[in-house]
Amino acid sequence: MFKKILIANRGEIAVRILRACRELGIKNVAVFSDVDRTAPHVRLADEAYCIGPAASRESYLRIDKLIDVARRTGCDAVHPGYGFLAENPALPRACSEAGITFIGPSAEAMEAMGAKTSGKQLARRAGVPTVPGTDEAIENPEEVQALARSMGYPILLKAVAGGGGKGMRIVAEDAAFAGAWRDAASEALNSFGDSRLFLEKYLIGPRHIEVQVFADAHGRVVSLGERECSIQRRYQKVIEEAPSPVVTPELRKKMGDAAVRLARAGRYTNAGTVEFLVDADRNFYFLEVNARLQVEHPVTEQVTGLDLVKLQIAIAAGHRLPFAWEAITPRGHAMEVRLYAEDPDNKFFPSPGKVLSRHAPTGPGIRLDEGVYEGYTVPLEYDPLLSKLIAWGNSREETIARLRRALDEYTITGIRTNVSLFRRILAEPEFLQGEFHTKWLDELLAQPSPPAIPPREGTEDASAIAAALWHTARANSAANASQDSSGAPSRWKSEGRRQQLDRTP
Amino acid sequence: MKLEVQLESTSGSKTRAVELHRDAERFLITLDGQTVNADAIEISPNTISVILDGHSFVIHVTPSLDGKLKLQCGPHEFSAKIIDPRVWRGRQQGALEAEGRQQIVAPMPGKVIRLLVAAGDNVEAGQGLVVMEAMKMQNEIKSPKSGKVERLLAKEGESVNAGDILAWVE
Repeated sequence: MFKKILIANRGEIAVRILRACRELGIKNVAVFSDVDRTAPHVRLADEAYCIGPAASRESYLRIDKLIDVARRTGCDAVHPGYGFLAENPALPRACSEAGITFIGPSAEAMEAMGAKTSGKQLARRAGVPTVPGTDEAIENPEEVQALARSMGYPILLKAVAGGGGKGMRIVAEDAAFAGAWRDAASEALNSFGDSRLFLEKYLIGPRHIEVQVFADAHGRVVSLGERECSIQRRYQKVIEEAPSPVVTPELRKKMGDAAVRLARAGRYTNAGTVEFLVDADRNFYFLEVNARLQVEHPVTEQVTGLDLVKLQIAIAAGHRLPFAWEAITPRGHAMEVRLYAEDPDNKFFPSPGKVLSRHAPTGPGIRLDEGVYEGYTVPLEYDPLLSKLIAWGNSREETIARLRRALDEYTITGIRTNVSLFRRILAEPEFLQGEFHTKWLDELLAQPSPPAIPPREGTEDASAIAAALWHTARANSAANASQDSSGAPSRWKSEGRRQQLDRTP
Repeated sequence: MKLEVQLESTSGSKTRAVELHRDAERFLITLDGQTVNADAIEISPNTISVILDGHSFVIHVTPSLDGKLKLQCGPHEFSAKIIDPRVWRGRQQGALEAEGRQQIVAPMPGKVIRLLVAAGDNVEAGQGLVVMEAMKMQNEIKSPKSGKVERLLAKEGESVNAGDILAWVE
């Protein structure tokens, strides 16, 4: 097993990986940018080193600096988390040159499967159905536009290096093509350092369902079941659950087999996710492979009882997948909501700032993977994900009830969060029945919000009293403070004067 | 001490008169002249527990820059302005706006990535003026009205704070 692991990430995922290291008795090293000095992952790590200024291109994306820290601190492995360099084959290459193990797939497997276009080619060879589109990135926008015209709108433009909806645009008509190309390419360049795009036919009303696979270095590949990720706002997943309300045991087997076939074909190792679009007739189409740990991995952990990060570390250390997991089936139900520092009442604009207070939910069936604390200032330079609130229970209904209860307990003040979005979704009849698709949330949000639930009787009275009490306490303490400063002399001042006078000439 | 609390929510605005009298360990509270059966205590900084006729409420108080208080009570939010007769405050500066002219401000701190219009351009309502980036997401700032871009203060590549003026549309 490894002795010390460098965590090449920040935020809640760095904390998640640190915790796995702690439990395994492995020393850990965090890295941080100038604005992340006070971030939770820095506080929790055994060692922490600054790797540069706030801009991720000069810190979290600098492979040379990461390898340098790993070498100097004697790390024998690097965990990339998700985002940043997690799917950049240059990191596993640099690691192997430095004699350090990369916790993830090989650079070759990452290239063969991770890049969206080559993944598609591989899927075709492995007999996995795919969505029509270009297999390769096309440099020339005019060429792509011509292809889009022949394929018929709507189409999707996607960043080759993309993920999380960044560098992605849906184009509904020819007139919007040029602007969408420009925005997607510039966003892709800023987020991933790679502006290349490709084109895909846009399916109407599909679900996004993904399969978690694990492969060890000894040829065993297993599927750990699916995650339903159709609740998305502008291609950004906001709620994930396992199992999917529409996946039958037969479909689970078929999708799992396809995912395993693909992983084998790509000589894949470690954790990976095969994303599929599933249409109304439950046909599934390969979308892409995420050659890394996913943000939403906790829902799989809750229904399988496995710790996926520890499993990643064990596989990277050369361990075998401990037993035949071909027959693993989900137990109970789990659901995750992604709490972001953004303002749902103001077009979801990011709302960085200082967390003045925070009350975390606890109790049965609740897990909180968090990257904030009271007094922490959420920087504006990075993804605004604050925390992931995960609930699990015996049934989907119990899980939703627990999630609602936990959302009521969870309070963050000082910054805006999207918590009201989840209150709204978790009350929608279609959501409760499991009837939705990837555009469902965008359509819901295009409608006027439902009338606010009237507050419980007494809420206004209690709030007025609270405001008055708060004001009174502050006014009194301000008055006391001003009395203090005029009354008792400052001991610092008198000590300073005494020292001045004592000085012998 | 007698205070006026102007409570604002999405359903409107109300002014309440609250009197607090300290009586040993707790406050005697009157609301709009009526004594209420209420026990209020600050259980942790900025978090106030109120038991009103046996019903339990927790209110989180956050002071905001304009001097108002933001109150969060479960999913419900209020904005409160306190009028304290003991404290003389300067008049609130009136945010008067020239008729028809719209000021476009940055809704968040971030960076101006691109200008989509130039000063003097005629724009339609909903037309993008400026592309801003914050937290790696790009967003178009749109014109709230049809008219002419009178002044364009945003510069490409410039960092701005929330509330900074980006443009004027006349």
